[in-house]
Amino acid sequence: MSNLRVEHLGKSYGTANVLSDINLSVENGEFIVLVGPSGCGKSTLLRMIAGLDGVTTGDIYIGDRLVNGLAPAERKIAMVFQSYALYPHMDVRKNMTFGLKFTGVAPAERQRRVDEAARMLRLEPLLGRYPRDLSGGQRQRVAIGRAIVREPDVFLFDEPLSNLDAALRVSTRVEIARLHRLLGATMVYVTHDQIEAMTLADRIVVMNEGRIEQIGKALDLYYAPANLFVAGFIGSPAMNFFSGAVESVDGDVARVVGAGFGPLALPAGGLDRGAKITVGVRPEHLRIAADGPFTAGGVVELVERLGEASFAHVRRTDDKMLVVEIRGRETPSVSDTVTFHAPLQDIHVFDASGQRIADGHPPRREPL
Amino acid sequence: MFVEQRARSFAVHAVLIAYSALALGPILLVVMNSFKARNAIFGSPLSPPNSSTFSLIGYEKVFRASHIVVYFENSLIVTLVSMGLVLLFGAMAAWALSEYRFRGSTALALFLSIGIMVPIRLGSVAILNMMRTAGLNDTLTALILVYIAQGLPMAIFILSEFIQQIPKDLRDAARCDGVPETRIFFEVIAPLLRPAIATVAVFTIVPIWNDLWFPLILTSSDSTHTITLGVQQFLGQYITDWNSVLAALSMAILPVVVIYVIFSRQLIAGLTSGAVK
Amino acid sequence: MAEPVPQVVAQMPKAKLIGLLSLFLGPAVVIYTAFSIYPLLATMQLATFTGESGGGFHFVGLANFQTLLTDALWSTPFWNAFKNNMIFFAIHMAVQNPIGIALAGLLSLPGLKLKSFYRTALFLPTMLSVVIVGFSWNLILSPLWGVAEGALKAVGLGSWFAPWLGLESTALVTLALMSVWQFVGIPMMLIYAALLNIPDELVDAARVDGLGQLRIFLHIKLPLVLPTIGLVSVLTFVGNFNAFDLIYSVKGALAGPNFASDILGTLFYRTFFGNQLQLGNATMGSAIATVMFFIILVGVCFYLFVVQRRMRRYTF
Repeated sequence: MSNLRVEHLGKSYGTANVLSDINLSVENGEFIVLVGPSGCGKSTLLRMIAGLDGVTTGDIYIGDRLVNGLAPAERKIAMVFQSYALYPHMDVRKNMTFGLKFTGVAPAERQRRVDEAARMLRLEPLLGRYPRDLSGGQRQRVAIGRAIVREPDVFLFDEPLSNLDAALRVSTRVEIARLHRLLGATMVYVTHDQIEAMTLADRIVVMNEGRIEQIGKALDLYYAPANLFVAGFIGSPAMNFFSGAVESVDGDVARVVGAGFGPLALPAGGLDRGAKITVGVRPEHLRIAADGPFTAGGVVELVERLGEASFAHVRRTDDKMLVVEIRGRETPSVSDTVTFHAPLQDIHVFDASGQRIADGHPPRREPL
Repeated sequence: MFVEQRARSFAVHAVLIAYSALALGPILLVVMNSFKARNAIFGSPLSPPNSSTFSLIGYEKVFRASHIVVYFENSLIVTLVSMGLVLLFGAMAAWALSEYRFRGSTALALFLSIGIMVPIRLGSVAILNMMRTAGLNDTLTALILVYIAQGLPMAIFILSEFIQQIPKDLRDAARCDGVPETRIFFEVIAPLLRPAIATVAVFTIVPIWNDLWFPLILTSSDSTHTITLGVQQFLGQYITDWNSVLAALSMAILPVVVIYVIFSRQLIAGLTSGAVK
Repeated sequence: MAEPVPQVVAQMPKAKLIGLLSLFLGPAVVIYTAFSIYPLLATMQLATFTGESGGGFHFVGLANFQTLLTDALWSTPFWNAFKNNMIFFAIHMAVQNPIGIALAGLLSLPGLKLKSFYRTALFLPTMLSVVIVGFSWNLILSPLWGVAEGALKAVGLGSWFAPWLGLESTALVTLALMSVWQFVGIPMMLIYAALLNIPDELVDAARVDGLGQLRIFLHIKLPLVLPTIGLVSVLTFVGNFNAFDLIYSVKGALAGPNFASDILGTLFYRTFFGNQLQLGNATMGSAIATVMFFIILVGVCFYLFVVQRRMRRYTF
């Protein structure tokens, strides 16, 4: 096992820039998740670490070894593909041992590793079967098994759960977490699903349009998103955003007004009169019967009742939709006019460029 | 409305049956009559052989007077070896063209596809000279080399299409697994090209088996003749001996028909899938 | 090329890449160039020479072509063969392809019973060797056997019968029809495949709109398979100008009666190899082959640059 370091990594195809100035440091044994919308460059980054895509600028170190010029086979990595990429004409055992033949591993050792991995992944009864006779979840376990037997320094996962149905996704997710604990291996995992990211990762790397937006632990990203993108990406349903401006500053209190929410008094720190800001509140932090300085409301257009939690979709005064999570059986009815409140600690404030303003200090970025 | 449909369906089947009769009729006629005695052939050409008219005299003659078995063997060798090598060399070339691209790959691919449209026969003068110089005149090897050259362009085209269908992830996984490049082709890619064999076979086997031109030009001695040439020469020689002629024709027809009927499903699937350009 | 060159390939040491390319491309390129391209070029080169291999060859430029096209001794058979080739081609275009299209249309009708039987039966002649086809029809049409005559008599058309293959006026047409009989399976299969590709929804929509099967075929299916018909036409063109086997099998190298069935292929063979009328002439033979090559080239270029451009290939 070893660590992984990516320094000032960039990737372009001709004039199209796919990745810009990526800096990332993964500790030995850490589970890192690269998450972001389609096209953000997460898969490209993973493939560059694997050696399947080339480096335009920057360096990649695996275990303190510069691997830029090395072929995938020389990097001591193993990759689990979204499509599983199992050899259709080989049975499960052969699929797992095929690559080992060429890395100089003795036959006896090969069998030992396969049996060990099969035991870990409960693949023993399937060893003689062919991929076409396996279910999606079984195929995925074989793909993982193929990676395990290579005993790599770093495991790479490219959206491994995307092709599974919802129930299978949950159970396989648990499997992967269990494997990580068992093997203690360094894992880099790509997904577009933020729930997978939140549940599996030691640290999450949020990416957007070829850049890293923020790196941090799940709860850090949830409670202290560094910018508008991370704030809107993490958490489901997404955070509610309100456009506003600073009306006046009086000492260390700023009065903020805007469409869709009531006037708000915030710590002034660094804010000037007239500054444009965005205010954000999560659906789960808005309450009806509460007092909080933040208020927003409107006419209820739709209520989604999901059991313990329901979601009310409210038409705000600025004509945008407000989504609020409501707990319990008492839910508002359609066409009710309701006002919601939230405490100051649950308010996120972002400046005109989308960066977080926290207590007036400059925006926070996770250090390398 | 319903009557109309019935009438239309009847008309469709009528046409198809009529044309099928036209397609199969001549063949049945020839084969049927090859088993009859001479006067029955002329007397009642349209009736099948019965106990009094049944005769194998034509077949005996063919076996005695010609080396039909040798011809058959030669055709078999030439066709199978050519097909095998066309598949092997064609698959390797198609793989290299799609995977190991370099400056000039496209030009090379274009160069190789010229042969699809341009008939190789036109260079026969030079081919014959080459074979004579190389001492390969009148050998099956000469035929095989020529047929490989003839079959490669189409085979490469068809195999390229199939190679595109193989998921790129498999190749990436093999590379991550540490599999050497040549092994990737022979052990990962090639086994997955099995469906392509039917398509390539249709376009390669039939023209080779039935070819008259190159055996005519490149083989002179009886022992290297292929079945098509052999039958043609036999027919020319024994043209008045109807029994033998019909028997020879039938012997040339029957293996093809049998193979065709057995493999017709794969054959037609191969033709229709490869034809969707 | 949509996908850029894979990184592993791009990063490969030059020597290794060259080794791989030689291994994978070598055999195909060598055999193809040696036995397909080089002979063609050599033939074209030889066409600019005259003489015998024993006595030495002399370069004469385009003189052979001039002789071929204008000197009566050579040009008469040449233009005769050329004309016959065009007739041969015209008959195929007029008979083989429409029948092939019609059969394909019938075969692709939804819910057709016995479809695989028809497909197998109709394609069978194409599998046979031309020698077999030529000779079988020769026998059937022969006045000696009387099968054809008898069949025509049975439908009251007995007076139509004539020894077509033996008459100068009808020999070529008869041979062309025999070739059509054999090869109708190819346009039939190719167009059938193209028709299969048309989504059922289009046909269903037309049926809902009230069109009958014939109208659907003429106005919807046919226009959509025009690209395939174009391809079939150019394949027919190349095949016809390459034809030799049938004429040779039925009529021999002299393509009688009185050269009435002589086409460029038999002319080439005769000139190149010689026969009882003349010695083999390699240089003139090469000239004929070169002319054939350019005729085919013109046809293919016409198809690639004119026909294919105009045809839009609809993707579904």
